[in-house]
Amino acid sequence: MVLYELRNNNGNFMTYFFGIVFPNFMSYFLTKAISEDAPMQLYQEIATSIMLTMSLIMPMSIMLLGYGAVYSQEVEHEIPLRMHLFGFEEKDLIFGKVIAQVVILTVAFFVFGIFQIFVMDIQKPTMFSFFCLLLSLYLISIMMLIISHALSNIFRKFSLTFGVTMMFYFFMMVLTGMMGVKTEQLPKALQAIARTLPMTYISNDFIDFWQGGMYNFMPLIQSFLFLGAICGILLLFSFHKNKRT
Amino acid sequence: MLLTIKQLQVKYGKQTALQIEQPISIEKGERIGIIGSNGAGKTTLVKALLGLVPYQGQIITELTKEKIAVHMQFNHYVTTMPIKYIMEAILNTKIKENKELQNLISFFDFKPCLSKKFPALSGGQKQKFTIIMVMMQKAELTFYDEVTSGLDFETRQKLMEKLVTWYQDKKDTLVVISHYYEELEQLADKLLILDKGNVIAYGKTKELFRLYCGNAIFIVENNQKNKELTSNFQILKSPNHLIAISCHNKKEEQDLTELFITHNINFKRSNSDIEIMSINAREQNIKKQSNLFE
Repeated sequence: MVLYELRNNNGNFMTYFFGIVFPNFMSYFLTKAISEDAPMQLYQEIATSIMLTMSLIMPMSIMLLGYGAVYSQEVEHEIPLRMHLFGFEEKDLIFGKVIAQVVILTVAFFVFGIFQIFVMDIQKPTMFSFFCLLLSLYLISIMMLIISHALSNIFRKFSLTFGVTMMFYFFMMVLTGMMGVKTEQLPKALQAIARTLPMTYISNDFIDFWQGGMYNFMPLIQSFLFLGAICGILLLFSFHKNKRT
Repeated sequence: MLLTIKQLQVKYGKQTALQIEQPISIEKGERIGIIGSNGAGKTTLVKALLGLVPYQGQIITELTKEKIAVHMQFNHYVTTMPIKYIMEAILNTKIKENKELQNLISFFDFKPCLSKKFPALSGGQKQKFTIIMVMMQKAELTFYDEVTSGLDFETRQKLMEKLVTWYQDKKDTLVVISHYYEELEQLADKLLILDKGNVIAYGKTKELFRLYCGNAIFIVENNQKNKELTSNFQILKSPNHLIAISCHNKKEEQDLTELFITHNINFKRSNSDIEIMSINAREQNIKKQSNLFE
């Protein structure tokens, strides 16, 4: 089923464009634009800071938009039910999907990493900060996947699911500084919302300990717990809504 | 005994979609046709048997999910890859390594379709795709829900011909749902007639025919001349453009044949017409109900 799901994703151009091409293109374009007016010695720091922000596009594009687009179309056409009638257990189907998504995500991280090191010339991280970034990105990915899976099962319509996930996508991009506006420049209410999202801390704070130093991880952990709770609630609601008996 | 249904009730909200009071059993090797107009409860029954809708009552069976194969009315697949990959993933096999699958593919003339994506298939090819995979499941009980629905006459005929030929010498247990009476005449030896969620009749096709129509029926065009000619015979309920006459013995049949030949009237004789039989079963059921109320 993993090979089947990989083929299934291959047919979705959006996943590859927004998940692999887009973050690399954005980091290149933004770094060039911002570093043009900055002193030469700041180039690496600017490139690294932009890399950290742009890395967040991958889990959101692949797991939230890409997976949501593919899975909601399947749900709308009752393909999971058809597969169930062929004897496939739901957990096996989901397992295949998750593994395929993780494979694509890992390929995206790898391409992004190569591009950032060899083309963008970012600062070398410490093992600890690299591990923190990778772990955070995978955690966010899982949460994005749960959100899009739950929304697909709640709405059971591609158009509605895609609309809502796209709205979340851009809303989170605005809140976490991916659209060029820093979180602290946002209105107070939006800043408060932004602080509940782990993406905000990765985008704004990870640069502070990228090459070493101290960092208070508590707000980041709290934001992960908060987003995790929202994912759990959405997932439980989707189970409840689709309960057969 | 493969499956027994007892006191089954399916409700959608407050509305009862299906109510089966008398026990219904499906024996190994039986070919059961389910017939009824839209909203009769045919698909609801299949969904209840598959556990896809909540129900009250009992469905007693030792069959596990893997031993039941289903061709639903609408079957969709992902549109992102050629269908041969979908087929191989679902059946967990490689087409080039599986002789049995290759045979089925060539039996249904399906080879040229394998490299196409699902939306590029015609209606008939889409049905064949699911049929091949359903057949490959080699299940103890197979459901075909409106296999030919939405297909043009020629495609429908060809597909049914293939299905009938395939199952001719096999002992598979089939439950076939269809709007088309002639399809059930070809595939089913037992019938379940449903109407507005209730069972009108269940039994062997021949026995039900004898019960509701007699030994044979003669069908002629409905016009004044034919009405007058047949007025002394037992007339059955039939579609408006036809007159159906019930015959209970050879003598009656001979008299009618002679009458029609003498008056140069075109006629059709049948001892298995499911359409006329189900119309009359429904009619008798309505009469029975109204007698109960009186």
